[in-house]
Amino acid sequence: MKRPSSLVSESVLIEKLTQRDQQAFQWLYDQYSPALYGVVLRIVRDDEQAADLLQDIFVKIWKNLDAYDASKGRLFTWMLNIARNSAIDSLRARKTQPSAAIRTDEENVHIVDRQYNTEQPNPEFIGVQEVVNQLRPERKQLIDLVYFSGYTHEEAAEKLNLPLGTVKTRIRAALQELKQLFK
Amino acid sequence: MNITEYIASGILESYVMGAVSDQERREVECLSSIYPEIRQEIDQLAEALENYALLHSVEPPASVKDKLLKELEFGQPKEVEHEPIIRELPTNGPTYRVTWIVAASMGLLLLLFSFYLLSELRTNQKTLAATRTANDALQLEMRQIRDNQSRTEQTLALLRQPGLRTIELRGNEKAPQGDMIVFWNTQTHQVAVDVRSLPNLPADKQYQLWSMVDGKPVDAGVFDATNGTELLQRLNRTVARADAFAVTVEKRGGSPIPTTSTLLALSPVNA
Repeated sequence: MKRPSSLVSESVLIEKLTQRDQQAFQWLYDQYSPALYGVVLRIVRDDEQAADLLQDIFVKIWKNLDAYDASKGRLFTWMLNIARNSAIDSLRARKTQPSAAIRTDEENVHIVDRQYNTEQPNPEFIGVQEVVNQLRPERKQLIDLVYFSGYTHEEAAEKLNLPLGTVKTRIRAALQELKQLFK
Repeated sequence: MNITEYIASGILESYVMGAVSDQERREVECLSSIYPEIRQEIDQLAEALENYALLHSVEPPASVKDKLLKELEFGQPKEVEHEPIIRELPTNGPTYRVTWIVAASMGLLLLLFSFYLLSELRTNQKTLAATRTANDALQLEMRQIRDNQSRTEQTLALLRQPGLRTIELRGNEKAPQGDMIVFWNTQTHQVAVDVRSLPNLPADKQYQLWSMVDGKPVDAGVFDATNGTELLQRLNRTVARADAFAVTVEKRGGSPIPTTSTLLALSPVNA
């Protein structure tokens, strides 16, 4: 798997970031904004909202850099979690409002989403996309539900009409498979 | 802790997916800081998810970056928090006074409490000493009672022996109150006396018991005016035969011949 080529090591980058270095921020943004935007878009399914969220997310990252603890995990994972949580929160907040009734049923959105994704594939990852398609559909579906929609295991089990144990086993299997695929 | 089993349990996968409770999250983070294997597995799983997220990369609109570069503040981080705050202490302000009063009250309370504890300690020490004295007295008394008991038992054993004769001697006109009992065992030939009331003698005098055999007095031993702590005084002579018993006052240690002028009591043995 080809990861974005690192210009500077993560520790140096973090140090420069905490000094509020503009160069470091630009590097961080250029490096990771497509991934974060993709994830957010995938969750909220709305270009405009996703762009607003992306901006909020980078402000959040910028302001909370001090809270990042390298001993607890990787920087990109930390950023991804901020992005995911912000997007899922915003999605849930919107759902509780009455206007949420406008939303069409899930299946339609999935179809639209799939079309959207096929229209604009990220050229850098075409090969990998194929690799990921090797994931068993039921496993991929679970990862997407839990990771991109913020479903708890219980909610996923209910939605897919599966026993909770099966959901847990499948998530484990899916991640292990993913791990192997990117080796 | 079985690390392999923990890794295989699926909790780490749930953790990187963000689908764990707060408690589980803390547990995983704690364990990952202890066990490098767990940390490594988490990193690998996180990397797999990172890669998965990268697959969904979409170039964001350029306007976002422009807005961010305008919105964010660059340059040296604000160090307001680190700057020492220098402020004059109000030396006679209410806060200062209150603090002083509170501190003084606490000190006073502590002092009073110490005095209270000290007095308690003294009381306890006194009680302890009193209890000890009482205990010693009781122990002494008990020892005495035990001694008495053993003496009584010995006496009783003596009196129970078969062949014991009891001869009561009554004082004559020289000693009207001089009553005593002679215990004579005709089988073991032992003699003991129980003095009831004989006048005290000077230090160089002792009472002497005589057994009369065929009209002749035979020395049966000396004894004192009181039995002391013993119930009976056992005499150190043996008496094989006796028709009567007599008591005279002799010089300490006894005399080979009775001084008849000092004869106090005479009593025949009723055969």
